[in-house]
Amino acid sequence: MAQNVDPYYAQRSDSSKHSDEGRTNPTDNNAVTKRLQKELMTLMMSQERGVSAFPEGENLFRWIGTITGPKETVYETQKYKLYLQFPNSYPYTAPFVKFITPCFHPNIDNNGNICLDILKDKWSALYDVRTILLSIQSLLAEPNIDSPLNALAAELWCKPEEYKKHVTDTYKQV
Amino acid sequence: MNFDFKDVFPILHTSFSLPFKEVNDYKLIETVNSINQLKLAHTIQALVFHKVENYMRETVAPEFWFHFNLSNDVEGFSQFYKAIDLLHNYFTQFLYLMRNVNVLRERSRCTEAVYGEKNAVQVLKVIIRATLLSQLPSEHNKIIEHFYETGLKMNDGHFQEKVCEVCLKDSINCRCLNCFYETNRKMVDLELLEPLVGQVLTSLIYTHIENHISKTCKDNFDNSFINILEMWLDNFIINWLHKVYYCGQSSESQDYVTIFKRKLTNFLYETYTKMRINQLFNIIIEYPESLPALEDLGKCLPKTDLRPLLTKKLQKAMETRLLHPGVSTPDILTAYVASIRSMRVLDPSGLLLEMVTQPMHQYLRSREDTVRCVVGSLTEEGLNDLAEELVKGDAVHVDENGGSDEESENWENWMPDPVDIDRNKSSNVRRTSDIISMLVSVYGSKELFINEYRTLLADRLLSQFSCDTEKEIRYLELLKLRFGDSQLHYCEVMLKDIADSKRINHHIKQDTDYTEKNFSMSAMVLSAQFWPPFKDEKLELHNKIVSQMEAFTGAFETLKGNRTLSWKNHLGIVDLEIELPDRTLNLSVTPVHATILMYFQDKNEWELDSLSRVVHIPPTVLRKKIGFWQSHGLIEEVNLNVFCLMEERESNRANLNVDVVVEDYESESIMASTQDQREEELQTFWSYIIGMLMNLDSLPLERIHQMLKMFAFQGPTIECSIQELTQFLDRKVREHQLVFSGGLYKLPKGDM
Repeated sequence: MAQNVDPYYAQRSDSSKHSDEGRTNPTDNNAVTKRLQKELMTLMMSQERGVSAFPEGENLFRWIGTITGPKETVYETQKYKLYLQFPNSYPYTAPFVKFITPCFHPNIDNNGNICLDILKDKWSALYDVRTILLSIQSLLAEPNIDSPLNALAAELWCKPEEYKKHVTDTYKQV
Repeated sequence: MNFDFKDVFPILHTSFSLPFKEVNDYKLIETVNSINQLKLAHTIQALVFHKVENYMRETVAPEFWFHFNLSNDVEGFSQFYKAIDLLHNYFTQFLYLMRNVNVLRERSRCTEAVYGEKNAVQVLKVIIRATLLSQLPSEHNKIIEHFYETGLKMNDGHFQEKVCEVCLKDSINCRCLNCFYETNRKMVDLELLEPLVGQVLTSLIYTHIENHISKTCKDNFDNSFINILEMWLDNFIINWLHKVYYCGQSSESQDYVTIFKRKLTNFLYETYTKMRINQLFNIIIEYPESLPALEDLGKCLPKTDLRPLLTKKLQKAMETRLLHPGVSTPDILTAYVASIRSMRVLDPSGLLLEMVTQPMHQYLRSREDTVRCVVGSLTEEGLNDLAEELVKGDAVHVDENGGSDEESENWENWMPDPVDIDRNKSSNVRRTSDIISMLVSVYGSKELFINEYRTLLADRLLSQFSCDTEKEIRYLELLKLRFGDSQLHYCEVMLKDIADSKRINHHIKQDTDYTEKNFSMSAMVLSAQFWPPFKDEKLELHNKIVSQMEAFTGAFETLKGNRTLSWKNHLGIVDLEIELPDRTLNLSVTPVHATILMYFQDKNEWELDSLSRVVHIPPTVLRKKIGFWQSHGLIEEVNLNVFCLMEERESNRANLNVDVVVEDYESESIMASTQDQREEELQTFWSYIIGMLMNLDSLPLERIHQMLKMFAFQGPTIECSIQELTQFLDRKVREHQLVFSGGLYKLPKGDM
């Protein structure tokens, strides 16, 4: 087993079909790297306003993303940093995404975890970093009140004045 | 008793005359004994020397130096002869006195040294030397110089004339040479030769050597001179010195000549080396004809410490004679190649080469067309240094960081760097003297070089429109030997494209669905991925051509399936046959020119603006293009900005059947220039930099570079040195697109 494989996945492959995983892993990994590299390139070249992301360091599997709050919402002018981690099985498995910057939002909990269907059961290999970030950006504008992670936020959503105060307060904690 | 003293030592008389009256031995012994009894030996001796000194000072020296007052050149020889003769005369006469003093010293067992000498004769010599030198007139050198110059000339056999220059006698009767040797012998006797004439003699011989060297080898680089010069030194100068120093008589003079010889040999080498160093630039230019001179210099350098001078002089010469705008790049390259080859001869260690070529590297780097010239001459046919070097192909792999293995393998042959080279300059990198690698390394990276080659190749392939790629393939193979397959993969694909195009054209022409209505057309099908970017120009072609092209595309699509063509309208060549009422023109022109003419075929008169709208070319450019047809007399500007087709020439002009291929006068490259490409690449980096700074806030230079290297440097040619990156980032800081503080770069606030 290669040393630079995430222990989590290494463990999993150990428990399941050991021989099969061991054989396909290196080529898969290469393919993932290529895919991520390509995504980075398109993201860099597209110069899209409002969303951006870049590998955190030497590891291409860990990125830092940035989104700006959508226009004409309480989040306008605010900038949120996100952490993205890609599994070795990417893009067949969704990346793990969480907020680094504290965000007051019905679908985001105090630890920055996000409740978004496309990051869970609705994930498709056709999504990429750009679409994930854009989805999260639009989530800020249109929360899903029915399955809240932050009950207070869900409750206050209908009272814009109070809601806005909480949003700015939380954002200022940085 | 008193009288006895004075008889034995006549100089003690208040007045005495030369020669001294001698007394017999018996009387001498007696007198000495009585002096000893009185214990006066010491006093008498001191008194005698005092008197001698006085006499020397007051009589001999002025008399001697009197001969030197005359500045007449012809008399110089005899004057010196006379002076030495006179001095020697006095010396012999005083010898008697000194003999007596010696007897006195012996008898009285006096061992005390006078002026550091124990023998009275030696003391006398010291006194003479000291007195003479104490009264040295300022002009004395002239006479001595003349004397020895004449002597040297006589030795050289310069007096071919019947009459001796000095004594004006027949050469048979002339005794001048004898006089010369006699004088020298006397001086050796007096031990005066070295103190009095040594310096003059040395400088005289130096001048002589200098003259001889510049006379014999100044403008001759085709022969080796070292041995000839050494032989000359031995045969003439040293032999003559032997005669002057009257060798065979005393071992001291022999030693002296040996020392002299060493000094002179050194001087000979130094003079010769200096001369060659001053001519080094010419020598290099004349390489390989000047090889003997270079080999000479190579032998001389270790014997002299002139290496720093060589570096300095040569760099200076390069700067003033080569590295300025007045010299064309191919000439500089030729000189560069010659200097690499010459330096290889001079200094196999390669250090010298590195030092000397450094300014050339710098300069070549600043010239825009260097790579083009290098690549051009590499692949050019005919006699050419670089092409020769490439074909020679010892397949020295151009590898920037290789070589360490080889070094450890050859540890037994390892040689330390020459000591007289700037320590800081010496590098651990294995210095290669392979010319092509050196030229390539001018740019620091072979990528740039290969990129330029690619552009050049593209240009050539596209401008020739012939599918004969044999020659190009040959060169590509040669280059592959040096640069490796992977680097030149793109070029390989390009060549393959050309060959494929030929085949595709052939296939399409055979296709029954494809018909050529008015003209035949063939296309170069290029793989966009592998060709360097083209200059983008807009051009709307004429309908007829467009429809033909569509048909071609259709045929291509059926042939290749899944692939299509994207046409570069502005590239290519159009062979035109223009039939006019009075003449026929056959021309090969660019698509732009052809298109213009085709539009004029539809409509005789066009306004510049409306035509510009139709062909999508800006009016100013279009006007220039129309100018081409104006020069052929086909189109005329009848009114301002209104052009009209002239079917018939004015009758007063002769009918010419112009059958020339007019090359586009702006025969510039159709490829985007290297600089444009670079700018584009940097723009790519900029997007990445924005991306990383937006997400990672602030980063130091190294980290940016590292990140770029990891994520952005893809493709065969993209690379960016840390220096270039610094410059780029600094520029961005100046343009307020970036903030630099505390060693970290970040984006200005409020961005995004």
